[in-house]
Amino acid sequence: MSIFRHAALIVVLVLFAHPANAKPLVVGSKNFTESLLLAEVVRLQAQQQHIEMQHRRALGGTRILWRALESGDIDIYAEYTGTLLRELLPNLPADADLTAIGAALRARGLGISAPLGFNDSYALGLTRATAQKLGIERISDLPKHSELRFGLSNEFLQRGDGWPALRDAYVLPQKPRGMDHDLAYRALKSDSIDIVDLYTSDAEIAYYDLRVLDDDRHYFPRYDAVLVYRLDALQYEPALAAVLQSLGARIDLAAMQRMNAAVKIAARADTDVAAEFLGVKSDAIADSGRATRIAARTLEHLELVSISLCLALLLGLPLGIFAARKPRVARIILSLTGILQTVPSLAMFVFMIPLFGIGAPTAIVALFLYSLLPIVRNTYAGLTGIAPELRESAAALGLPYFTRLWRIELPLAARMILAGIKIAAVINVGTATLGALIGAGGYGETILTGIRLDNIGLILEGAIPAAAMALLVQELFEWIERAVVPRGLRLSARS
Amino acid sequence: MFQLDNVSKYYGTTLALDGVTLEFSRGSISALIGSSGSGKSTVLRLLLGLENANSGIVRIDGLPLQSLDLLAVRRGIGYVIQDGGLFPHLSAYDNLALLPRHVGWSHARIEERIENLATLTHFPRDGLLRYPLELSGGQRQRIALMRALMLDPPALLLDEPLSALDPIVRYELQDELAAIFAGIDKTVVLVTHDLAEAAFLAPRLILLDAGKVQQSGDLDALRQTPANAWVERFVRARRDLTAASA
Repeated sequence: MSIFRHAALIVVLVLFAHPANAKPLVVGSKNFTESLLLAEVVRLQAQQQHIEMQHRRALGGTRILWRALESGDIDIYAEYTGTLLRELLPNLPADADLTAIGAALRARGLGISAPLGFNDSYALGLTRATAQKLGIERISDLPKHSELRFGLSNEFLQRGDGWPALRDAYVLPQKPRGMDHDLAYRALKSDSIDIVDLYTSDAEIAYYDLRVLDDDRHYFPRYDAVLVYRLDALQYEPALAAVLQSLGARIDLAAMQRMNAAVKIAARADTDVAAEFLGVKSDAIADSGRATRIAARTLEHLELVSISLCLALLLGLPLGIFAARKPRVARIILSLTGILQTVPSLAMFVFMIPLFGIGAPTAIVALFLYSLLPIVRNTYAGLTGIAPELRESAAALGLPYFTRLWRIELPLAARMILAGIKIAAVINVGTATLGALIGAGGYGETILTGIRLDNIGLILEGAIPAAAMALLVQELFEWIERAVVPRGLRLSARS
Repeated sequence: MFQLDNVSKYYGTTLALDGVTLEFSRGSISALIGSSGSGKSTVLRLLLGLENANSGIVRIDGLPLQSLDLLAVRRGIGYVIQDGGLFPHLSAYDNLALLPRHVGWSHARIEERIENLATLTHFPRDGLLRYPLELSGGQRQRIALMRALMLDPPALLLDEPLSALDPIVRYELQDELAAIFAGIDKTVVLVTHDLAEAAFLAPRLILLDAGKVQQSGDLDALRQTPANAWVERFVRARRDLTAASA
């Protein structure tokens, strides 16, 4: 849909030849509180300069933001120097400075702002009480206390620059346990572990009164927060330069921790918190209430599922029919749709963003591709599973191919084909929740927000309707089956 | 009407027909007899164009089958198979009406034709709205026969039409078939493994074994002058009830 919108915009631009502010700039954010806060800070600050800016919220992970920036779906987002060096610009040396990063970005049509003022690095932490009791201030104090229990996030345990290398750098004797990051804080509080990994800007540091240990051997790389943006956005909106400049060194670590805490622990709206930080008026839209929210998410979810399923039917049924007719082509068609099925959804989204942008169209195309296999496969199996003497009787009567297909073969295969469509639809309802990672809306948006804010109520507000929709879809297809599968066939199933 | 001229047919590497030459003249009633795997069904399938010969020529009214419109050829032949081949999702009536509707018959004409055929085959009228699975085996074969006769085709091919039925129904249907054959003036080719059934229904018997025609003629010829030892054994391979009770 955004393709059509873009196309429509181009038409408008050509007709009126008045480009100024025809299209708002877009700031993106990753799916965690700090990223959303920084994007709101950018948006509100831009508003001060009379730049209209739209915030595409909580778009999954680094790769998705990067692709969206490259493809022009977003114009700017907050990133960390460590992430740029390790994940996005791997050709640069690990110790490259901002000038080198800037040069590498410029070659891609991108720019980088001055650091925002805080370093959101990995660190190790423990309660202040334990730290004082044992006299621990630095990571190099840890080897002496081999009895300390480590509870580390699974990602940190596995990352090359995480636990394995840290253990080697400081010669740590402890055996860590892997756990969810949020649960690790609770385990720390209940005294079942002593040491956690954390991000230096985490809200929980103040909340749980933690001591962050000095990285005295400078093992952890710097993760200075910066803004990366498209250079053409600067041409389109020159006042953006002033916005970037005004945010340089503006946010120190304590300020970031306070903002994170205000959202994650005090449960305030990120827009309000960002506005308060900037000293401007918040333009947060009042919460529209649970029922309205569920209704809106339901519509979005239905749109994703129904459009993708209709497209899959339009292509999948003919493909299955064709495959049943040509056994040699069948193998190719079934393998191809099978391979599509194995592409992880996040990877699928990343492939699709350059083609369809972020938002519903990409999610719909991905869901469409996932729906093909069950539909094609069951159509093929339903048609080829018809008893040979029935297919031959139809041929021997002297009925042409399409009449045989329509009057005999498709009705006989109806039950199988419907089962395939049902599987595709039910899986689609589940998979569509991942569409929220690329800003496609739907129940996933509520679920992801709930996970981000550690709000069980919100998670259930997304998860329960999603489960209910899956059950309803199932029920709907049972009903369709009763209407579509001929009575003569239901007899055979009963006897 | 049908001619096979030195026809051979392989399924994969299995030879089903080995240089068979046969003629079925218009209006004749013939039975192809042989044990399973003798190639007798293959003859019918070749005539319908459901299979193609690997060598030799199949002719219909003197013209090679390959040069003819297959749909027209098939509509000129009624075909009945062992368990009827009725479409389970259609009622008996719709099974019968399928082809006539497709070729554009009016509702009244279809009704009238079904009425006549039901009389001919002694099919009860109230069974017409039932689905095949709600019919008895004998009723299913009657519907299959009616379906084959709907367009009044000049030829009727029957592949073991009574083999799946229990002995009493089978015995009764043999009587009915004999009466029907006598009344409809069609080229009939019946495939069966039962010599008695073949001899009862068809004046001309064609014995097939190992893909070759072993002998053809009437029952007396087969009995009195068997062409070879296999024919002699095949004709003799039946129990006599008087011998069993003795």
